[in-house]
Amino acid sequence: MSDFDPSRRRFLGHLGLAGVGALGASSLLSACASSASGPVDKASGAISLQSNLSSPQAKAAMEKIIENFNKQGSGRATVNTIASETYRTQLPTYLTSANPPDLYTWYAGSVANNYASKNLLLDVSDVWQGLGDYPQSLRNISTDPTGKQIFVPMTNYWWGFFYRKSNFAKWGVQEPKTWAEFITLCQTLKSKGVAPIGIGLGDTPWVASAWFDYLNIRINGAPFHRELLAGKQRFDDPKVKAVFARWREVLPYFDPKGKAYPFQEATTALLANKTGMFLIGTFFADAAPKDALGDLDFFQFPIIDPAVPVAEEAPTDGFFASAKTANPAGTKALLTYLASVQAQETYIQSSSGIVLPAHPKAKAADSPLVVKGKAMLDNAKELTQFFNRDSSDALQPTADTALTKFIDKPDQIDAILREWQTSAEKVFKG
Amino acid sequence: MSTLAPATSRTSAAGPTPKQRRRRANRPSPLLVAFVLVPFAVESIWVFWPALQGFYFSLTRWDGLEPPTFIGFGNYTELAGDAVFRGALVNTVIWLALFGGLSVLGGFGMALLLQRERRGVGFYRAALFTPVVFSLVVTALVWRVFYQPDGLADQLLRAVGLEQLIRPWLADPQTALYAVILPALWRQIGYVMVLYLAGLKAIDPALHEAARMDGANARQRLRHVTIPQLRGVNAVVLSVIVIDSLRSFDIVWALTHGGPYHSSELLSTYMYSAAFQSLRLGYGSAIAVVIFILALAVILGYLVRAFREDA
Amino acid sequence: MIRALRTGAFHTGMSLLALLWLGPILWVVAMSTRTFDDIAAHGVGSLPHSFTLDTYRQAWTDGGELRALINSLLVTVPAVALSLVLAALAAFALSRYRIPGRRVILLLMLAGNLLPPQILLIPVSKFSELTGLYDTLAALIAVQVGFGLGFYTFVLHGFMRDLPGELQEAATVDGAGPGQIFARVILPLTRPALAALGALSFTWIFNDLLWAITVLRTDDKMPVTPALLGLQGQFVSSWNVIAAGTVIAAVPTLLVFLRFQRHFVSGLALGAVK
Repeated sequence: MSDFDPSRRRFLGHLGLAGVGALGASSLLSACASSASGPVDKASGAISLQSNLSSPQAKAAMEKIIENFNKQGSGRATVNTIASETYRTQLPTYLTSANPPDLYTWYAGSVANNYASKNLLLDVSDVWQGLGDYPQSLRNISTDPTGKQIFVPMTNYWWGFFYRKSNFAKWGVQEPKTWAEFITLCQTLKSKGVAPIGIGLGDTPWVASAWFDYLNIRINGAPFHRELLAGKQRFDDPKVKAVFARWREVLPYFDPKGKAYPFQEATTALLANKTGMFLIGTFFADAAPKDALGDLDFFQFPIIDPAVPVAEEAPTDGFFASAKTANPAGTKALLTYLASVQAQETYIQSSSGIVLPAHPKAKAADSPLVVKGKAMLDNAKELTQFFNRDSSDALQPTADTALTKFIDKPDQIDAILREWQTSAEKVFKG
Repeated sequence: MSTLAPATSRTSAAGPTPKQRRRRANRPSPLLVAFVLVPFAVESIWVFWPALQGFYFSLTRWDGLEPPTFIGFGNYTELAGDAVFRGALVNTVIWLALFGGLSVLGGFGMALLLQRERRGVGFYRAALFTPVVFSLVVTALVWRVFYQPDGLADQLLRAVGLEQLIRPWLADPQTALYAVILPALWRQIGYVMVLYLAGLKAIDPALHEAARMDGANARQRLRHVTIPQLRGVNAVVLSVIVIDSLRSFDIVWALTHGGPYHSSELLSTYMYSAAFQSLRLGYGSAIAVVIFILALAVILGYLVRAFREDA
Repeated sequence: MIRALRTGAFHTGMSLLALLWLGPILWVVAMSTRTFDDIAAHGVGSLPHSFTLDTYRQAWTDGGELRALINSLLVTVPAVALSLVLAALAAFALSRYRIPGRRVILLLMLAGNLLPPQILLIPVSKFSELTGLYDTLAALIAVQVGFGLGFYTFVLHGFMRDLPGELQEAATVDGAGPGQIFARVILPLTRPALAALGALSFTWIFNDLLWAITVLRTDDKMPVTPALLGLQGQFVSSWNVIAAGTVIAAVPTLLVFLRFQRHFVSGLALGAVK
């Protein structure tokens, strides 16, 4: 009655059938693959640019550049924009994948060198041979320790205390130059019932690192700062503690709500006259209504020790390429285009415009704000970039923890610095 | 006579005869083997094999870029001395107790209130269940609006004259963990309620009738009829709660990223940030293994017993 | 009289509770119709002072939600179907026949579902590269099926085990093989469970974020949940547009829920009632 034959041979035969069944399932899957999204033939296909510029203006600007490149006829490219938070965690995966995208938006400096030291980045020295106009400083931060160029910059920007001109006029206050003047300004603003210093740490805790970077390069100087971030100095050093002693002097003037919202909301608070000034990079303008920009001005982070050579944070944005690209020639052609005057001017015109082009002959927007920012960077004796860019993306979370805790519990600074050193060592060790 | 003796179900009164039991040694039909093997193979490829790799990674130092280096139990000894890990473990236990306990109480209470079909009950059930169908991104957004400075929570407190309580809910280490449990409960209570509603429905009304005849009041019936009858449901609820608690990641990550300074850190968020932010994939894998072992330890004992009874 | 009072108290209490549950959602819906200027001036905690539907246009076209919804459906529908078919087959064999080691197999499959998904992310993404499936919707379908199977099998096993045995015995006596018994006897009886699980898995797969960003990297392949995250990155302080995007992303699961509400509520706990 039964259809079951207990003979071993038949049983194995059916097992074989099961195997076919499994194969069937997988070929069904690959059938789905080709119908849902055909695999791209990489060698002859378009250059893929993976972009984290996800704010609407920057995204549109990038798409415009690629459109222009495609019209030019020297190659074909596609841009693929990923939300910046997702991009950050996925970048190592992209780079180490078997079939990686060709080109990536990211940052110059030690963060790029970190990937280069693992042989993940394409040597783009050829491209740099055509970039004779570029200043040596940009060439330096695009060069890895072995001496080859691995990065092509597109823009850089600056950080500063941004404020509304109309408000400063209304309150009858001036831009401070020194730390003492800065503290007086804070006191004045507080007496007017305004939270003097805006900040946005909820969701974007890394903004606090700007304070640490600036205090450290003002007090201990840029060389110490770089060594610290490279693991050659210790975070529990008394010199680092001195940074926090200064910071503590102005902690009472921080907007208490700033812990709870991201920098974009802090921007809104500044524009709504709820805070007096805000230490932030120019990218914040992407989150501000365009008509508000006319009333904005900024001042340089005040000088604390006149003996320390003035350094400024000037983060450089640009591109690196995958060492595994199937089409190095095409990738370099696109990089060359991205480094051109035309591409960078397109970017500046289509985005919020408060950035400086990397190409010295490309025209920056001629707003007073941009002129002032460019002058500040030109006058700086030294340039740093930003905490993660001068160290690694992996070190950033240790700073976020230490700095937000300090802002909450400044009394525990010794313990905080010890913990910071411990967790930083783990990152350096890997 | 067939060798395909069906495993007689528990509901059939007689149960398997001793004769059928003795047939266990017989081999099943190859088609049946295929029925089991194909799904098992799919899960093996996408879950078991990656999991084994994950266990292996927990014994390595790996930044995701270079090949992993084997370091034995180095990650586990480091875990033992890691204060953040200990904090995350404590928070996970708090989470398990509060989130788990309150969603059971809330879900069970709601199920009792809403078990009887009457006017409006359908709407109330639907209302309580609605959050279950939303994704984490949606839930996080809804609650972010609630917790914003000057957001809904602050406005409500102000309206009832409690403005001195206002604080940055998600940014205050005293409140962050609890401020995240609330939205998690918001999603979970409806789910648990539905589990219990089904359980209550399955109780034979005759039992209640008999108890009523014996003069038992509502509370006595609850204690002596309803609750003992829900043992099966409790098991499932327990499993669901433990799994969900240990896996709770989305909502915490979306609202606080485990911060401020690890005060709302759970094992799952610490695992993610260790692996994907600090790029210490080996260490992160070790934390994941700990989570897995905890989940298994809590649930396995129960499941094995359940299976022994049934199968 | 007392009864009327109790009914009144019940409805008052439950209405308040329902409002507590639905309030935050209604708030977001209201917010999605406010203008940016209104939110900037009055804050997110204020009642609306304006009305616009332009936010939906922005989310739909500028935010790319249309494309993302299509992707979500392309992934969710096949993934739900495949999961249920495979899980039903396994549950059928494991619950209705004395497969050697069936308890271990079932436990193993369920244990796979207990794993914290994070531990699988890296290996899964490497494996999908190895098979050439990386960055295809097929990879997402496959991993969703693989990861869900354990739970679905467990639940269906619990349900099928409790089906009365007489029909199957009769069919066996009539000479029906396991395939026929599955298709003609057990599957029809399992329909309520399948409907419930289908509705449930639809919302889970549709709502997924982690797997999507693990196996996909091209923005126009992203399903709606990661796309919503992208939308947040794009319109950070435009709470109204984000709220509109959120509403759009929540509508499909809400529709499935309302349409299959009966199945959700009566059948969800299949695993529970053993």
